[in-house]
Amino acid sequence: MINDRAKHLEDSARWGQWMLAAQAGDQAAYGRLLSELAPVARRMAARQMTAFGVTEDVEDAVQEILLTLHGARHTYDPDRPFLPWFAAIVDHRVKDGLRHHRRHRGRETDIDSVPETFLAQAANTSATDRMDLGKAVAKLPAGQRQAVEMLKIKEMSLAEASAASGQSVPALKVAMHRALKTLKGMLGP
Amino acid sequence: MNTDQLIQELSSGLTPVKRLHSPGRRLVQWLAVSVPVLAAITWFFGFRPDLAQCLADNRFVIQNLAALVTGLAAAWTALASSVPGFRSRTLTVAVVPALLWLASAGEGCWAEWQANGWSSLDSVLHQKCLPEIVGSGLVPALVLMVLVRRGLALNPGLTAGLAALAAAAIGSAALSLFHDGDTAWVTLTWHVGSAAGLSALASAFGSRLLSRPARSLPA
Repeated sequence: MINDRAKHLEDSARWGQWMLAAQAGDQAAYGRLLSELAPVARRMAARQMTAFGVTEDVEDAVQEILLTLHGARHTYDPDRPFLPWFAAIVDHRVKDGLRHHRRHRGRETDIDSVPETFLAQAANTSATDRMDLGKAVAKLPAGQRQAVEMLKIKEMSLAEASAASGQSVPALKVAMHRALKTLKGMLGP
Repeated sequence: MNTDQLIQELSSGLTPVKRLHSPGRRLVQWLAVSVPVLAAITWFFGFRPDLAQCLADNRFVIQNLAALVTGLAAAWTALASSVPGFRSRTLTVAVVPALLWLASAGEGCWAEWQANGWSSLDSVLHQKCLPEIVGSGLVPALVLMVLVRRGLALNPGLTAGLAALAAAAIGSAALSLFHDGDTAWVTLTWHVGSAAGLSALASAFGSRLLSRPARSLPA
């Protein structure tokens, strides 16, 4: 128990130092910090989510935690311990994720196989449609592809995507608009 | 995108950031804007004619000191709550002076009730201070909201409620310098009541006011 506490204090002090360096722009220290924090965030998120019966989406929660930490790194005060600051972000993001999960859960039903709803073959090709769409997205220019991945695939808000990508909100909107236009052209009418 | 790629992307695009000032320093920034604005409002309306008499009355001094301390403490707590890791026991910093403000107004009401009975309530209907409190607290509220939004309020309802309480309490303290005729009942209902009502309203809309994700400012 005493060893665990000493390790926590040691980790917290080391991460605090790396975050202090990251605030000054030290990319190597920040990379090390995020690499050490990701598994910690994964453990903490999995523990909380499992308690609520949610076992999927843990990796999404970890990425949300890292994105929030990135956007809020200026709020870390090096005179204070790092772990409570980090734990508060993890807790907030996991609860947010659980709320999101509950909201969507109410509108979704698990089904084993997609039922055929129309006789026409074209109406029952969702898997191949997804593959075509995936290939088309991969062919998009980098900026447009990033906008589609963040806003549509990862379902990030404009503000979050802007914080993560460093692009402004109007630039993301323009990239998304252009991406949709390009995809429409690629996939036909 | 997997987590390793995300880490790579976040760290390779890292830029230096300007660290958020401590709650104490941001409180000073808030006062640096709010005090001159409240002084200008007081100067515009002029001191109440009976101010000297009021200042000799312990009850008036205690009530308004309690309002002032509530404003300062709630503002500091709102700013502290915009940093992740805020401990809920820190709330006592704002709650204790707010209770003192409520108790001092309540004690005045009790004394007025004993002296005048039901007629002591007449002033509540004739004197309505809500517009003046909102007017006095508007600039402090806006400035505090800007300062709070620089951080990351993980409990936006609480932070917004505290910010509104701070602005209304400091507005009420300033109001007592130029607004005369306020009885203890008026203070309890219109001053303390307005602060509580505005705080509850801001708290209800807190997530809309402060839901924007935190964004580090370049150094």
